[in-house]
Amino acid sequence: MARLTLDHIAKSYGSNEVLRNITLSVGDAEFVSILGPSGSGKSTIFQLIGGLYTPDAGTISLDGSVLNGSRGHISYMPQSPALFPWRTVLQNVRLSAEVAGIKPDEEQMKELIRSAGLAGYEHAYPDELSGGMKQRVSFIRSLNAPQQIICLDEPFSALDEFTRLEMQQWLLSIWETNRKSILFITHNIDEALFLSDRIIVLSDKPAAVKKELTVPFARPRTEDLLLSGPFLQLKREIYSELRG
Amino acid sequence: MSSLLKKGWRPAAVLILLLILWEGAARLFDVPSWLLPLPTQIAEEAVTGSALYAPHILSTVMLSATGYFAGISVGVFTAVSLFRVPSLQQAVYPLIILSQNIPVIVLAPLLVIWFGFGMMPKVIVITLVCFFPVTIAALDGFRQTDRDMLHYMKMIGASRRQIFWKLQWPYALPSLFSGLKIAATYSVMGAVISEWLGASKGIGVYMTMSSSSFKTDRVFVAIALIMILSLLYFGIITAAERFALRSRHKGGSPDGPAHT
Repeated sequence: MARLTLDHIAKSYGSNEVLRNITLSVGDAEFVSILGPSGSGKSTIFQLIGGLYTPDAGTISLDGSVLNGSRGHISYMPQSPALFPWRTVLQNVRLSAEVAGIKPDEEQMKELIRSAGLAGYEHAYPDELSGGMKQRVSFIRSLNAPQQIICLDEPFSALDEFTRLEMQQWLLSIWETNRKSILFITHNIDEALFLSDRIIVLSDKPAAVKKELTVPFARPRTEDLLLSGPFLQLKREIYSELRG
Repeated sequence: MSSLLKKGWRPAAVLILLLILWEGAARLFDVPSWLLPLPTQIAEEAVTGSALYAPHILSTVMLSATGYFAGISVGVFTAVSLFRVPSLQQAVYPLIILSQNIPVIVLAPLLVIWFGFGMMPKVIVITLVCFFPVTIAALDGFRQTDRDMLHYMKMIGASRRQIFWKLQWPYALPSLFSGLKIAATYSVMGAVISEWLGASKGIGVYMTMSSSSFKTDRVFVAIALIMILSLLYFGIITAAERFALRSRHKGGSPDGPAHT
């Protein structure tokens, strides 16, 4: 069943047409990636879903109710960790629930922090953490929100290759025990293939859905998958799609 | 303490050197003491005449502290209201800058005419000089809020109120404290100037009485007292800042939150 649906969304800023006829959906406990070149308006899609702007045409709906221009229905993980430096790890994780007006369960938060491999860092400040650790806190913060759908905006693009692979595997392991619906933006084909159930390939500006494909690989996935034949075959397919 | 010694010895050495030069030159050229007293004479007056100025200090401390708290309250209130109501900011911001262009020396007699010789006109003078740095520093701090953090708060649907109290206010604190420190030193100046205009007690009174009777050494004692008070206030606010922002110094830069 589709939870989040974007139906024929269009958006322009003045004469600059950014999105043209975007239709996509994210199902319950599904991991969907939006793959597109840099500057193709991927982040604009998120700003529309987040309610920062209203689409010029089309509807965005969550569980059947239209949410064009209305805020607070999604959880979010930005590209930079954007942790508040005056809050400890625990307090940062609490923020998303606080904003949603919910009293967070202290034990559950500590459990989340432990599962992120950050046990002992509950009362550390973001300054004391490495880049990968900050991103993990940022992801846990979005998991700790009451909303059932999480939007991730190129969360690993600023990390080095080794840390990124580590983070991707970590993300999958956490997600497999904590199944929320995820909409994931990336410009990295490997990343999209490795993580998602479904990939939506966007064209260059104005962005439109070029292709939608289901990723057939079984879960749980390991890094061996990255070099397997079917994986590379799919990668080649997407690559030519993006090129052509 | 050792770090204070490490950092402090240079300015202390320069200060002592200047005092020695002053003492030497004044002795060499035989400058009359009503024109320029020797540092040793000033120090002697500071010790022997302490009964003369001691009651004045307390009065100035009370006055400047009252004015300071009035000033920073007005300053913070102004900054928060201007920031949260942008149309108000456009309307009032130029007036705030204009308020700083009125020479205090001109304004003070007017305030005496309107409010008499009591505390009121003096506190108004200090408030007027103290609120400005606080307002400007706080407003700058609010405006410079990290864009990524702001974007995150908007995306998860935080209200304007939540964004302000959870993000913009704590983010602006280091900047606000800079304003508070500047205001602290201004408050002593403001107090002394307002005392010139008619008060029965205060360092400003002691100063005017000394200078009109050519007790130049006492004028210098008054100057030293003002400096010491200003430094003391500055130190107190710095300590308060350390305490309020103590969590941010772990691993971060010493001048506010470390941003990445």
